[in-house]
Amino acid sequence: MTRSPLLRIAAIGGGLLALGLLPLALQRVSRGEYYLHVLTLVLLYAYLSTAWNILGGYAGQHSLGHGIFLGLGAYTSTLLFSRFGVTPWLGMWAGAVLAGAVGAFIGFLCFRYGLRGPYFALATIAIAEAMRYVVSNIPYLGGARGLEVVWKGHNPAIFQFSGKAWYYYIALLLAAGCLAISAWLQRSRLGYWMVAVRENEDAAAALGVDLVRTKVLATVVSAVLTALGGTFYAQYFTFVNPSSVFGEGPSVQILLYSIIGGLGTAWGSAIGALVLVPIAEFTRARLGGTFAGVHLLIYGAILMLVMLFMPQGIMGLIRRAASRTRLRRQEGRP
Amino acid sequence: MAPFSLGPLRMRKMSTSLLAQAAVNGLFVGGVFALISIGLTLIWGVMRIINFAHGEFLMIGMYIAYFAVVRGGLDPYLTLLVTIPALFLIGALIFWGTIRPVLTAPSMNQILLTVGLSLVLQNLALVFFKADVLFAQTPYGKMNYHIGGVVIEMPKLLAFVGSILAASLLYWLLQSTDLGRAIRAASQNSRAAQLMGIHVRQTYLIAFGIGSACLGVAASLMIPFYYVSPTVGLFFGTIAFVIVVLGGMGNFLGALVAGIIIGLTESLGAAILPGSLARVFTFAIFVLFLLFRPTGIFGRRQG
Amino acid sequence: MTPLLRVERLTRHFGGLIAVNNVSFAVEEGEIVGLIGPNGAGKTTTFSLLSGFLRPTSGEIFFDGRPIHGRKPHEICALGLTRTFQVVQPFPDITVLENVLVGAFARHATTLAAEHHARSVLDRVGLGHKADQLARELTLLELKRLEIGKALATGPRLLLLDEVAAGLNPVEIEEMLKLVRALNAEGITILLVEHVMQFIMNICRRIIVLNFGQKIAEGTPEEISRDPKVLEAYLGEEAPDA
Repeated sequence: MTRSPLLRIAAIGGGLLALGLLPLALQRVSRGEYYLHVLTLVLLYAYLSTAWNILGGYAGQHSLGHGIFLGLGAYTSTLLFSRFGVTPWLGMWAGAVLAGAVGAFIGFLCFRYGLRGPYFALATIAIAEAMRYVVSNIPYLGGARGLEVVWKGHNPAIFQFSGKAWYYYIALLLAAGCLAISAWLQRSRLGYWMVAVRENEDAAAALGVDLVRTKVLATVVSAVLTALGGTFYAQYFTFVNPSSVFGEGPSVQILLYSIIGGLGTAWGSAIGALVLVPIAEFTRARLGGTFAGVHLLIYGAILMLVMLFMPQGIMGLIRRAASRTRLRRQEGRP
Repeated sequence: MAPFSLGPLRMRKMSTSLLAQAAVNGLFVGGVFALISIGLTLIWGVMRIINFAHGEFLMIGMYIAYFAVVRGGLDPYLTLLVTIPALFLIGALIFWGTIRPVLTAPSMNQILLTVGLSLVLQNLALVFFKADVLFAQTPYGKMNYHIGGVVIEMPKLLAFVGSILAASLLYWLLQSTDLGRAIRAASQNSRAAQLMGIHVRQTYLIAFGIGSACLGVAASLMIPFYYVSPTVGLFFGTIAFVIVVLGGMGNFLGALVAGIIIGLTESLGAAILPGSLARVFTFAIFVLFLLFRPTGIFGRRQG
Repeated sequence: MTPLLRVERLTRHFGGLIAVNNVSFAVEEGEIVGLIGPNGAGKTTTFSLLSGFLRPTSGEIFFDGRPIHGRKPHEICALGLTRTFQVVQPFPDITVLENVLVGAFARHATTLAAEHHARSVLDRVGLGHKADQLARELTLLELKRLEIGKALATGPRLLLLDEVAAGLNPVEIEEMLKLVRALNAEGITILLVEHVMQFIMNICRRIIVLNFGQKIAEGTPEEISRDPKVLEAYLGEEAPDA
């Protein structure tokens, strides 16, 4: 079932073009700016989930504390900007490097000492929570109230734009870039090593895969990408506080989209975000006033239903259907 | 010991009576921590079921106890008669409906399922009860005794005693009754247990119910001195996991002792360190144990 | 000439149990050597020790003159010693080709080169037509071939085959024999653990016999089949599959 690469490039190109023209189309629609906002969020979360998926889906190490890296990215660029006037375009790389280092440290400790599955998840939760407490308690870092990205007027040089469309395009670029990196990784040696680690650690080791190094690399790549998204997050919402980045919410949301979409596939996370983010946003808009947290309620319920009835996610269903048709075709012809 | 300065951070000047007070409160709260964790020890340590909604069960119990006191006019300690069966049933139902199907699935599925469950429960509470922080005024709230410069709050003392009693009862149940033996057998080797006539699913169901019922006890005991809110379970749930690891997975006495230790460190830490840094200390210890001594302070229970 | 593999006084304790007890032997390059013994004799433990999955309690292992005892499995694989598993260990949710690809990446850095190598390996083990099938959908014989294919892709000088003939019918055993002989003909040294006597006797130049963790005999198939110590060891359990 190999599609010709030309067809694939055409499809992707066409899709990008359509997405690129969308803001122009939405200008004519009433509440178009709101829809643009939702789409920007979809792209942002697709980006973050795809980044998470590199560690969680490819390498199979389910981090429940990716807010660590989101927060490191968001806080680093925001701090550098507020206190030292460093443009977020540079600050985001500082955040990425920091996140990468932290990811390497955490990853090395956890994987060198054999933390797997639930224990790794618990460790990431604990570390994220600890960071939340630490940042909440240090006034220099904004304390519990957080930091504001002070609006200095439309100025692309410092990552501030007056029109929503700018953010949309940046998010589109980020998402497309992350998917591209993800797809490339999937076909690379490191990508195959990650999958081997996920599928069967003993077999992988016997075939020359350095388990610790592979897992740590996956963590670092995922951390760096997530942190970059953190900077966008800070710039888009112009505000960052401990709970909104290090808390349970963002960490769970990020992995949720990958789970729903289907782990281990580059597109799965994007599909998950595409399906779920609009649901959350529209519920929040309709009911958020009277019932705060309804969108989390829905997310929780969906997570439960998916775990009970389709744990392989949307992509899993598709792959199983494809595999079944392939088997049927093979049996049809001897 | 002189105050330790770190720019804007300062360690508060310590006085013995302050420390003693913190120690006493820490001990009492530690008992409750222990009880909450023992429920989780049964569920996670013994049955290997990872329930991230453990704290939310406590939250449910506390709401039940709260309304029983405030609307029903019950004495808070009488609410035990309500919370214990209620939490047992709720635990059993949730287990049967949602957790049992994923028992044989990879453990991450259980984790994600219960994370979803915790989100659902938390936000249902938010929808029904808003984010209000509720506190039940009871006559016990005012009962304080002064002994040697230290204030002993009656509700906390009672909570401590009640927790130790409940924990002992549970321990006896597991060690000396047929049900307890069935639970331990089923969790060690479910296939062998089945061959010996133990109905594993049913046993797990009951065990899960009992673990949840522990939270009912803790809830009733805490209502006289602790507040209720939809997010109250977050902290206790996380602490429970820390304590179960520290105490050694499946080790009851370990969970008891570790609960008290954590209660003390939290309380003393809050007195000595600024802000919530004590909490960070707890998490750091947790991660260190996960990495270097996952069998806990006392090691895994052998049977 | 230095033997490709030299094992000196290899010992492994598990608490009070001594699984491998002071075992010494050598394997020359190009040989096919068998490692047999009753159940629980310590054969698979020995394989785990050789491939780095277990650390020896004492003793030494030299591969191509280099000490490898205490090294990690992936390092040992990189040096040219690869093992298969008694219970096949595929990567279930990826294709057959991708399974072998993982092994190929031990020798090739780019996906293109690795894929090329993987496909040729698949052909050698007779799974070329199954390249795009998910590993979880294979039959036992195919899985065993895949197991060998994965190991083969790492370009080993010494291949440790753990009970590759187990569970196969006589026809399949013949095919497996042919495959292993072909691999050896290409220059791969083979050390195999086996219970199926038809397999061992037909293919091994030399056989080492373990019992209760100790080496009790070593020699050609004829010598072994006449050795009273060997017969006694096996009389303790059912007659070996002839």
